Amino acid sequence: MNDLFSSLIPLSLAVPAVGAALAAALGPRRGPAVRAVALAATLVTLALVLTVAVQFASLAPNPDAPARTFDPRLATAVSLLPLGNGPGVQFFVGVDGLSVWLALLTAVLMVPAVLVSWAAITERVNEFYAWLLLLQVGMIGVFFAFDIVLFYVFFELTLVPLFFLIGIWGGSNRRHAAQKFFIYTLTGSLVTLLGVLGVVLVCYYNSPEKELTFSIPRLVQSVQERLATGTAAELGYWRTVQVYVFLALMAGFAVKVPLVPLHTWLPLAHVEAPTAGSVLLAGVLLKIGTYGFLRLCVPLAPDAALSLGVPLVGTLAVIGVIYGAFCALAQSDIKKLVAYSSVSHLGICMLGMFALNEVGLAGSLVQMVNHGLSTGGLFLLVGMLYERYHTREMADYGGMAAKLKLLGVAMVFVCLSSAGLPGLNGFWGEVFSLMGIAKATAPGLTPAAMATLTALGATGVVLGAWYLMTMLRRVFFGPLKEPPHEGHGPVGDLNGRELAALAPIGILCVLLGVYPQPFFDVASRDLKVVAGIADDARERARMIEAGNAAAAERAALAAGEEKR
Amino acid sequence: MNPDTLQALTGWVPLVLPEVILVAAACVLFLGATVKAGRDVWATAALVALAAAALAAWLGPRSEPPTQAALFASPVLIDHLALLVKVLAFVGGALLVLLSWHEVPDRQAAEYFACLLVIVAGTALVGSANELITLFLALEMISIPTYVLLYLPKHDNASQEAAMKYFLLSIFSSGLLLFGFSYLYGLTGTTNLPALVQALASAGQGGVPAVGLVALVMVVAGLGFRITAVPFHFYAPDVYQGTSTGAAALLAFVPKVAGFVALVRVLGFAPQALILEDLALSRVSPGLVLGPQVSTLFWILAAATMTLGNVLALLQDNLKRLLAYSGVAHAGYMLIGLAVAPYLSEGKAPVAGGVEAVLFYLAAYGAMTLGAFAVIAYLHTPQRPVETVDDLAGLSRDRPGVALLMAVFLLSLIGIPLTGGFAGKLLLFLGAMALRADSGADAAMLEQARLFRLLGLIGALNAAVGAWYYLRVLAAMYLRNPVRPVEGRRGWPALAAVCLCALATVALGVYPWPLLRSAQEAVPRLARERAER
Repeated sequence: MNDLFSSLIPLSLAVPAVGAALAAALGPRRGPAVRAVALAATLVTLALVLTVAVQFASLAPNPDAPARTFDPRLATAVSLLPLGNGPGVQFFVGVDGLSVWLALLTAVLMVPAVLVSWAAITERVNEFYAWLLLLQVGMIGVFFAFDIVLFYVFFELTLVPLFFLIGIWGGSNRRHAAQKFFIYTLTGSLVTLLGVLGVVLVCYYNSPEKELTFSIPRLVQSVQERLATGTAAELGYWRTVQVYVFLALMAGFAVKVPLVPLHTWLPLAHVEAPTAGSVLLAGVLLKIGTYGFLRLCVPLAPDAALSLGVPLVGTLAVIGVIYGAFCALAQSDIKKLVAYSSVSHLGICMLGMFALNEVGLAGSLVQMVNHGLSTGGLFLLVGMLYERYHTREMADYGGMAAKLKLLGVAMVFVCLSSAGLPGLNGFWGEVFSLMGIAKATAPGLTPAAMATLTALGATGVVLGAWYLMTMLRRVFFGPLKEPPHEGHGPVGDLNGRELAALAPIGILCVLLGVYPQPFFDVASRDLKVVAGIADDARERARMIEAGNAAAAERAALAAGEEKR
Repeated sequence: MNPDTLQALTGWVPLVLPEVILVAAACVLFLGATVKAGRDVWATAALVALAAAALAAWLGPRSEPPTQAALFASPVLIDHLALLVKVLAFVGGALLVLLSWHEVPDRQAAEYFACLLVIVAGTALVGSANELITLFLALEMISIPTYVLLYLPKHDNASQEAAMKYFLLSIFSSGLLLFGFSYLYGLTGTTNLPALVQALASAGQGGVPAVGLVALVMVVAGLGFRITAVPFHFYAPDVYQGTSTGAAALLAFVPKVAGFVALVRVLGFAPQALILEDLALSRVSPGLVLGPQVSTLFWILAAATMTLGNVLALLQDNLKRLLAYSGVAHAGYMLIGLAVAPYLSEGKAPVAGGVEAVLFYLAAYGAMTLGAFAVIAYLHTPQRPVETVDDLAGLSRDRPGVALLMAVFLLSLIGIPLTGGFAGKLLLFLGAMALRADSGADAAMLEQARLFRLLGLIGALNAAVGAWYYLRVLAAMYLRNPVRPVEGRRGWPALAAVCLCALATVALGVYPWPLLRSAQEAVPRLARERAER
């Protein structure tokens, strides 16, 4: 039975790929057929991923799984490049608690992405949907991949379709935006590739049976075993290696998240991208960065994650939270505002993650999904507004809630979710992330430092409510002010297709807001793994500190003796 | 003289049968040109000759594993490396025939394809050369017809300049190479490559005399011209730009294969198992018979070549110049493989060794670069030239299929996954990262490991720089509107070449194992694993 379910994962990668080929083959003139194919492919993929998620949630945890590594379920592994003595590089896909919700988020967000492009994209329709579906293959693949090279392959594969989506169907400055996005991300990820290769080879040379493995669970296990059993000299070596590995892996993921100061590609790409592109970029692609941190950086370099995480990543994240919020506040373009709000929200997500305790990690994971839903929703609504009036300047609007009632309601709802209103999804992510960082302990960091980080992070939440509410007030409330829209035909409220695009996001926001328990239950096993890995690192750091203190004491005693 | 040696000395004719077939066919073509003009006839004849040569190579005798006598007496040796090079040469040759089919004027078709056949024969012979003399002759078999090829198709000033420039520099580089070879002969007293490597290795225990370094520099300079390593690269952009697309494609691929294989053979990067044992006894790593400076030299060449190639390519608008500098950059990536090869050859390296990665990359580079040239050849007509990046603007609207295939080549040149370019870079970078750098390594090794990691980083950053100019072409094709619609359609052969190259590029990216395995067979390793530290 599980064989059947495990075949669903490769299938969920194959369906969009086949859909893309089919859509491309239909040609640019058969628009309706192309759209139907695209919608069918995304719906089938959604059904497949949903089945995988339900099946995964119903599986009892595997009692034999090692405690300090991931345990992919419903896995398929086929050897592709048998380097070394073992299977080498594999097509290794599966699902675990960290990836299941993000894969589902991708599959869900694809449906609105297709629906919102229905009328907006009229040129080169077949190419558009082909690239969109290929993008889906890359995104879902990243989350399902459990081979480190395969992960990288999917990670890079998301670049190409998005380059075309932004560059062909984007706004006026699209070519520059597309190229900047591509080069930024590629540069970071090439350094990540070196980090990936480095980790694989270090594990190879230090494993007793000289096993060359590319499987992420095996690599994580191997690193933990070496760290647990190493002699003092070996541990010293591992600490240096981890710093390099952490920094190399971080290069690619930090660009993707993005962490300030590597974020400059993001506002440009977001503003120029077509609505579907923005939705997926904000909703899923930024999450690939945070997911990379969670899946690779922390487990493969736990000591470095502990020692560099808060001082380096945490600081950058907090700067991003505040800086992103102020930038958002200063924007006159609604889409830019939403783009900068992503920088701010993901800062909170990173802050929660590098708390490196269970609460923070859970907050970080739920924040990833939340941000996908709320910001995805915001971009959808901004796109719908733009489609009606062809302007995104806030100054052009006023009192739109009176004119477009449903759109106004939806916008208020999504803004509240994004601002973290209790009862909606955003609340849990922010609360748990901040709780996590408040309780976090790391060597060399005082509770006061943590409290400062928490306070600054919380400022971001307040600022978030501020800029979102300001935007709502200026665009949707007050006296009615419609931008000129001659020649665009009559402007109506949301139609059925648009409602269908928004409905899943709204439902999930409420569901996650009032009953988040199943979310955490399903993810808890693998969150515990990461938290456990971090706890071990903390223990090692404490031992070293104790050792240093003892040595210092001895030295002081010896010095005292000499004096006497 | 013992009968085995006699047999090895005299029995080499069957071993070069494929080359003989090609040269004989070339003679027929040269003579036929006086009787009949017409590209279809002679191109078909060239393809048939290539097929016959491939068949002869497939059915012909192998010297694997080579006997002692064959190893030290035979001027040619058909080992796995030779076979792999033959495959590359024949497939590349067939692609080049297809690519230039409709570009060559009817009048010159016979001479053009005849020259091409001799060049392919020379490349195949470089792979099996077991003697300095054979190797040099094989390299000249590539060079001399190339002069004719460059001179044949066009007669404008740029083309004359290209032919002249290539001719003079090529002669000069051959001179340098011959000078280096003479030093090698002087050092060892033999022209037989295995014996030469063996002699140098046993001398290496007491340190190779300084003349060895002169020989090294001369050989690398002479062959560096062929692989367009910086600073011997500067002819490439002018020559590519001045000549026909077919000849430029040839120059981008064939001399690189010949140059890298010749380096591997002469410097003993892939010695046969028998020689390997001797090297192990003298504690010399394969490839370092002329001293540890070999690796340092290639390190510097690699870093300089890829950086300069990529940076200068950024400035180009002409497609052929751009591809020329891109070729320089890719030669730089491949040189990483040669720099690390000596340190990965002890049979315990976890990854594909450096030479294997280079061989793999040569094939991937051939597929993607020949493909890109084939697209230009397919689209270019005298009325609507395809010379600059701007000429490709809006190609995806006029010719979505061709644009997509060109996109595959460009993405592969960037190194995006699922293409041969990515698989090749993965193997090269794995090699650069693969030196052991923990407590199990000694201080010298640690230093080497650090240097190679730095080289890997330089390579990765270069790949990012490279992405910029390939992306410009990609952006022109997809993100811009056509300036003037492309009308050219140079018949099916060029299109077939495009499709075959795209197929190869994707196949090498999705499932690289078969080629990597044959590359691993081509580089012998000691059967018994040396004891792990």
